[in-house]
Amino acid sequence: MDNKNLNNLPKELFKPLVNQENTSEKISRPSRTFGQNARRTLFKNIPAMISLTLLILIILMSIIGPFMNSYGSKDQKLEHAKLPPRVPGLENVSWLGFNGTLSDEMTGATVEQATQKAYLRFNKDEEFIDIKVISEGDGSPNSAEVKAIYHIYDAKGLDDTYYWLGTDQLGRDQWTRLWEGTRVSLIIAFVAALLDLVIGVAYGGISGFYGGRVDNFMQRIIEILAGIPNLVIILLMMLFLKPGMTSIIIALVITGWTGMARIVRGEVLKLKNQEFVLAARTLGTSNGKIIRKHLIPNISGIIIVNTMFTIPTAVFFESFLSFIGLGIAPPAASLGSLIDIGFDNMQIYPYMLVFPAALLSIIMIAFNILGDGLRDAFDPKMHK
Amino acid sequence: MRSKKWSVLLAAALLVSMILAACGGGKDENSSKDSTGGDAAKSAEQVLNFINGDYIPSMDPSKVTDEFGFQFVGATMEGLYRLGEDGEIKEGIAKGEPEVSEDGLTWTFKLREDAKWSNGDPVTAHDFVYSWQRAVNPETGSEYGPYMMAGVILNADKIAAGELSVDELGVKAVDDYTLEVQLANPTPYFESLTTFGTFMPLNQKFVEEHGENFATTEATLLFNGPFVLDVENDNQHITQANQWKLVKNENYWDADTVQLKEINFVVSKDPQTNVNLYNQGEVDRAGLSADLVDQYVSHDDFRIVPDTAVFYLKMNQVRKGKETPLANENIRKAINNAIDREALVNVLNNGSIAATGLIPKDFVHVPGGGDFREENGDLATYDVDAAVEAWNKGLEELGVDSIELELLTGDSEGAVQTFNENLAYQLEQNLPGLKINIKPVPFKQRLDLNTAQDYDLQVSGWGPDYLDPYTFLSLFVTDGGNNKMGYSNEQYDALIAETVETSDADVRYNNFLEAEKILIEEAGIAPLYQKGVTLLQSPKIQGEIVNKFGARYEWKWAYVAE
Amino acid sequence: MTQYILRRIGYMILTLFIIATVTFFLMKLMPGSPLKAEDKLTEEQKQIVLESYGLNDPVPVQYVRFLGNLVQGDLGISYNFDNTPVTEILVERLGPSMQLGLYAVLIGTFFGIILGLIAAIFHNGFWDYTSTIIAVLGTSIPSFVFAGLLQYIFAVELGWLPVALWGEPKHMVLPIIALAIGPMATAARFVRTEMIEVKGSNYIITAKAKGLSKSERVWKHGLRNALIPLVTVMGPMIISLMTGSMVIEKIFAIPGIGEQFVTSVMVNDYPTIMGTTLIYAFGFIVILLIIDLLYGLIDPRIRVTGGSK
Repeated sequence: MDNKNLNNLPKELFKPLVNQENTSEKISRPSRTFGQNARRTLFKNIPAMISLTLLILIILMSIIGPFMNSYGSKDQKLEHAKLPPRVPGLENVSWLGFNGTLSDEMTGATVEQATQKAYLRFNKDEEFIDIKVISEGDGSPNSAEVKAIYHIYDAKGLDDTYYWLGTDQLGRDQWTRLWEGTRVSLIIAFVAALLDLVIGVAYGGISGFYGGRVDNFMQRIIEILAGIPNLVIILLMMLFLKPGMTSIIIALVITGWTGMARIVRGEVLKLKNQEFVLAARTLGTSNGKIIRKHLIPNISGIIIVNTMFTIPTAVFFESFLSFIGLGIAPPAASLGSLIDIGFDNMQIYPYMLVFPAALLSIIMIAFNILGDGLRDAFDPKMHK
Repeated sequence: MRSKKWSVLLAAALLVSMILAACGGGKDENSSKDSTGGDAAKSAEQVLNFINGDYIPSMDPSKVTDEFGFQFVGATMEGLYRLGEDGEIKEGIAKGEPEVSEDGLTWTFKLREDAKWSNGDPVTAHDFVYSWQRAVNPETGSEYGPYMMAGVILNADKIAAGELSVDELGVKAVDDYTLEVQLANPTPYFESLTTFGTFMPLNQKFVEEHGENFATTEATLLFNGPFVLDVENDNQHITQANQWKLVKNENYWDADTVQLKEINFVVSKDPQTNVNLYNQGEVDRAGLSADLVDQYVSHDDFRIVPDTAVFYLKMNQVRKGKETPLANENIRKAINNAIDREALVNVLNNGSIAATGLIPKDFVHVPGGGDFREENGDLATYDVDAAVEAWNKGLEELGVDSIELELLTGDSEGAVQTFNENLAYQLEQNLPGLKINIKPVPFKQRLDLNTAQDYDLQVSGWGPDYLDPYTFLSLFVTDGGNNKMGYSNEQYDALIAETVETSDADVRYNNFLEAEKILIEEAGIAPLYQKGVTLLQSPKIQGEIVNKFGARYEWKWAYVAE
Repeated sequence: MTQYILRRIGYMILTLFIIATVTFFLMKLMPGSPLKAEDKLTEEQKQIVLESYGLNDPVPVQYVRFLGNLVQGDLGISYNFDNTPVTEILVERLGPSMQLGLYAVLIGTFFGIILGLIAAIFHNGFWDYTSTIIAVLGTSIPSFVFAGLLQYIFAVELGWLPVALWGEPKHMVLPIIALAIGPMATAARFVRTEMIEVKGSNYIITAKAKGLSKSERVWKHGLRNALIPLVTVMGPMIISLMTGSMVIEKIFAIPGIGEQFVTSVMVNDYPTIMGTTLIYAFGFIVILLIIDLLYGLIDPRIRVTGGSK
């Protein structure tokens, strides 16, 4: 706006600039390094900062969460199996679902019949079951419907017992297992994503930049690696490695990095003939430096987005591995295995699925928004 | 530039042709399969609709090895006898009781003359001779042939090993309707063996005419049982069909007895999906996984069907040539006593019951007595005090104060995994100083590690292949093919050996009772549970028999109630 | 160019040959035998059956035999399905998987691009975050949970669609939606990122200066640039979706190749594993070739054919 009036400025306002050695290089805007600029942009991005806080909180919880109550993740107590969540204070707010009751709707020819079914469904603890009649029925099969609410904590005499997120089939505290599982999954996902990133970017960058014969050769290797079914590779690796985190990470990385490498290559192919690269080359910049300083920063957005996809892929792949008997050795849990178990119980004990699935979704959304923020922050065009 | 455009066009054309191929392939499928599932299913009354847990891997009686193969071979074919209610032997192609020689080694069967193959040929004694020879012929590559016949039919083992020609097999057709079988050992349960899929007859002319294609499509199958298999597309490989039906065989000699007109099958593997299909009335039965049992336990159609498979803990005494702590009898006894089997079956939550011995409940009767299980009582019990006492004694004998053991598991299905976790936890809780590391591996790798005897503890299971305790107790003779845990007891070996040589039922069963006692009291194995199956089943299914071995279901006498 | 394609096809054959060889030898290392009643047979009996499969021959002999058959288009007989040629299995099972995968990719990509464009146009605004959250939920909810929920809501509760099974078009709806969520999320995220990048670039500013309308800028100039990463990612995704998803096929009882492949690996059905691998690898390599060709079409500045000099 101001610029438009520049021509009308009175001359006397101008003073000749004395050429001094010490001020000639002075820059009027505060001098910020690329990193400082990036940080500034990032800190101003409120959703990204919220996400960052959330993630730090989740990581902290995955460390301290298991110690917040007295239950161990491996302590089985069959008589406490499949208890619903119950939280002190929140237990009186019935719609929250933390009041420690199970409920189900039962049908029968008559209300009486439906009620009997409800009793059968909940261990026949009649005095702890509230029955609400939904429809009286007319004697035809399944016309009557009742809603039964089972006060399972009371029935088991656990007045002062609180499992914040309920228990699993072996009576283990879900809260403790959820955070320990989060820790396992995050470590697997982080390490796998990081390795994918490093290997993939380096490989893809070199392949795309040098092109020609080098590219041809390197791409054939990717084709071969990606063409061999990783299930076979993983089965074989389990022969030589103990089942556990290390082998799962190796299994993930062995084929996982090819996706990143191909994306980086595609982008480098696109960028390498553009003017700024030609300029750098004309100035005699070394190839390595061109890749590192010019190409990689320009494709950081794509790299970040792709890395974000690696994380859920890693979590689910781990759960797939436990599904076929190759995952984290029990009794340890992971987010994937918890979701797996939760899925089997989805209709009857939804809390087993809801918490791990919700946590995973929150982690993923936070990561992505933070990733977007990082992308903006590292994009020189966005710096103000 | 021009050439570039062309190449892109080429690429696009490739892609489009792939798309067309994909869609085209699909359409064929649609038109060919439409009618199976929908209309026919709901019309008539004597029709049932079932889910099958998997494809049928084989319909060739000589080669079939799995649950579903035996199921459909059993429904469409008939051997000398058939299993009725409670394991009772019913007449099949054989008429009346066989004539058995004094020494129990020569069995003569009279065959009925009205039995026909589905192409009209009569079923003769030659069909049995051909089929049994084929089953042990090494060229056939049969797994169950040698397994079921070696040591039972004369020379079967040597023929299978390629040492004798198939003509030497102890089976011959005296005339078209008289079959004479020479046994290697008196095998009192031989009648029940002949109901098994591997012992079904085969029409030589038909089999040889189709050669390699035999039993691959509907057109290359020949039936002599109560039902015939019907796949919508006659030329589709049966192993690849995901829908098929059993239709009443009008040529069956006892067709008047068969009431069901049609049974439809569709392959579906996910338990939740199956229950949803059941609730929508698409199918008449759905298996329930442990997680679904809680939800449906109060359903009117909820059923628990007992099974005869028994699961037990193998305790390896010699690992890769070195003795393990489990070679110590006290340590083994401690483990056996430290297992709360009731808690374990609660975790399984699938109708399984605690196993207190190796022989399952309701499997065989002791001659002149009750159920084998009841006669021998609860051999394995949960007794923490006794366990701890034995444990401490064992530790002292070994001169250590803690032991670390590996628990090998090879099946990761949800409920089984929690089962393993609970088993390990129980042992660690009850036996101070014991540390259990669960080692999950894929099934094939578990078998490999078992063969190599490279494990400490292993949950293993066994389902019977005939109606005799020998099918279970022969597993643990010294150096037996399935022992693979270094268990050896001379007295046990002698008792089992004697049951093979004699046909005296009393002697045999006394030996079996005695042998089981030795095995469990020495804690060679620790029995865990006898499998059960939980399902939702329509009450309209009547007269269906659940067999104790071989084909799981018998539909010959089944019907749909009003 | 023609020369380039011919050369690539030559490499393709070489690559396939290497994949076949590596997979073949890897399988020889896999634990256990393909026998089905392995635990019931004595060692002797096992050897006899293995002999009849030709698995007792020296590995090089087996390898040469395998290659010989492969050249003639014979993938062998399955060890799991009695007397069933592997080609038969592939023909039967690939159909449903390919159909589902293709529709899922097309539908998913279409909606993904729309979502991504919305997000990029309203960069850092409400719609951006909404679209991001939808896309991210798509990837962070496991497909089996999503499939289970779809089945529960639309088949069990509402009864609009069949629970499962295969044969009629209505059976395809739920599995396609369940499968499409992945490509949708991926497309949305990549399109958003690239579009934001492109928005600030000189040629878009030039286009704006030339007076091109917003929609012209977005569709003609912007999207075209966003296509490079999209094509890179979506290509292999088409192949992996068309070769089936074990979980979705299991939940909806679809006779597809995805579930079959996992089973084959678990039971050591070597010929079927080899056959499926080769089909997958073939599709994968063809798609990579197509992608490389598309690069040049989408962005004329890219030359994959020549060197960097």
